[in-house]
Amino acid sequence: MKPDQDRQLARAVQLITSTALGPYQSAVVRIGFGATWLLFLLRELPHRHDLYGPDGPWSWDMGRELIAGNNAFSVLLWSDSALWFEFVYGVGVLSSLLMMLGWRTRAVSVLFMVGVLSLQNRSIFVGDGGDNVVHLMAVYLVLTRCAQVWSLDARRAARDRGPGPDRAGPVLWTVLGAMLFAGTVVGRVGGETWIFVLFWGLWVAHGLWWAVNRLAPDSEPRTLLDVLANLVHNAALVVIMAEVCLIYATAGWYKIQGSRWQDGTALYYPLKLDYFTPWPELSGLLTSGGVMVMLLTYGTVLVQVAFPFTLFNRRAKNVLLVLMMLEHAAIAVLLGLPFFSLAMIAADAVFLPTGFLVGLGALVVRGLSRLPGGRGARPQGRRGSDEQPRTLVG
Amino acid sequence: MAGLSLPYQVAAAVSLALIAALACVHLAVVFLHVAPSNTVTKQHGEAVDGWVYPEFEQNWKLFAPNPLQQNIAIQVRAEYTARDGSRSTSDWIDLSAQDGAQIRHNLLPSHIQQNQLRRAWDFYAGSHDTENRPQGPRGRLSESYMRRIVMLRLDRHDLGGRVERIRLRASTRAIEAPEWSHEKIDTRPVHRELPWWTVTAADLPGGVDNDRAATAR
Repeated sequence: MKPDQDRQLARAVQLITSTALGPYQSAVVRIGFGATWLLFLLRELPHRHDLYGPDGPWSWDMGRELIAGNNAFSVLLWSDSALWFEFVYGVGVLSSLLMMLGWRTRAVSVLFMVGVLSLQNRSIFVGDGGDNVVHLMAVYLVLTRCAQVWSLDARRAARDRGPGPDRAGPVLWTVLGAMLFAGTVVGRVGGETWIFVLFWGLWVAHGLWWAVNRLAPDSEPRTLLDVLANLVHNAALVVIMAEVCLIYATAGWYKIQGSRWQDGTALYYPLKLDYFTPWPELSGLLTSGGVMVMLLTYGTVLVQVAFPFTLFNRRAKNVLLVLMMLEHAAIAVLLGLPFFSLAMIAADAVFLPTGFLVGLGALVVRGLSRLPGGRGARPQGRRGSDEQPRTLVG
Repeated sequence: MAGLSLPYQVAAAVSLALIAALACVHLAVVFLHVAPSNTVTKQHGEAVDGWVYPEFEQNWKLFAPNPLQQNIAIQVRAEYTARDGSRSTSDWIDLSAQDGAQIRHNLLPSHIQQNQLRRAWDFYAGSHDTENRPQGPRGRLSESYMRRIVMLRLDRHDLGGRVERIRLRASTRAIEAPEWSHEKIDTRPVHRELPWWTVTAADLPGGVDNDRAATAR
């Protein structure tokens, strides 16, 4: 290797070990998916028993029989009591809200994942593509430092400079550890082995992080843990981005093979499906012209196939990003898939430019401070890893 | 990382390599999972499935390769005991049409309306042969699931008697060709009728009291 290549590599290694990249992007993904799942759970509140409850059409015994075959993770299988179900649903709602707000995000993101996986795996036959994206992202987000900005965690970190004792963190850690311990003893955690390892690994890591921050804040072990967290975050962020590319590439490349996408009529058909036409008048209007349908059909395929490649060109990527978000907004209304669309927009948002996100954040803060009685949150700048909150678990 | 002593630097470097390798392997496996069947998946399909299922399963063939071009309506007729003790058979009740009516002009359709019955039928059709014989335990589960969904819906429908047996059919109707195309498409419905199913206590989800229908009203 030449010396300048050598130096470039060293600089890259330095960057990914010392920084959790994309603080605004990971935050917007966290907020987006927290909000999507929260709104979904609230929407389905009246239907929750029929969808996921122990006495719903997909009964608890049926769920258990199916999961015995595929080993999916669901705490709902710990008990068939109605009370347990209500508790888990409640934790699901609460964890989505806290995920959105970024409160104790390291712990809450795990609860969020548990909530999402438990409900979805309990009744796999009521979900759609939107649930699938939420499912994947709920797992990936656990591994990210997604609360560096726009979160209660970041606000608290900016506020308390002093080494005052942190109560909520250790309490949360102890309670969750006790539940994990109980689950392990009873042998009921369930799911694949890696989930079990992940839970214990996270619990130990968070404990270590807390201890190291208290006992040896300027030590090498603390720096190493910080490096590890950054590496895991950066890898997870790459996986999230690649996952979005895979979604569009798969959706696009398979369409190319379809005769209806080739003859330019494909978009006409979903707009005539009884299950996906909440607004028949609107759908009828859109499908009334053959050229219009063809342009939209070809445009859809073009955008989906092209998107991963436009990542090499900032401007082209941003144009396509806008187009895709607009298309999803249209799908939300036209096909009656608001939560699917919201999830996809949240996933797309990982590619939004930092400048835009910072501007958006400032706009939101200004809007909030104009509200009657609103004090307005202080805009939170990016914090370097050397001033990472000492009291934060993780 | 530069400021660390050698042992810590080694630990960090090893972690970097492991984490990067894990991320790459994960992405490669997910790619193979969504890719069409190919040389690699033909040899290592089981390893791919083992990694991806159950938590990383994904299907992004959204409306691809071709969008669904037919409306499938699930309809049911029920044999019930009327209040005077006589047996009657209802007309075909279109459960999918009820879903459709609830989705119409709804900004936030529920999974109950949009996915439950629709996907339950996909599940049934995928786990039965054309003679309606169940294929493995999934087939049996799907029948039970179907019956429970139907009984929940019939309970709200109120036939006025205890439901003894139910019979389902899927009525498939091709979407008419666009007015601006010259295609001719036969839009007459095609029916697939399932055998009569006797309703047992196991087919009643929570809140459904089949006997109440016979006595209370």
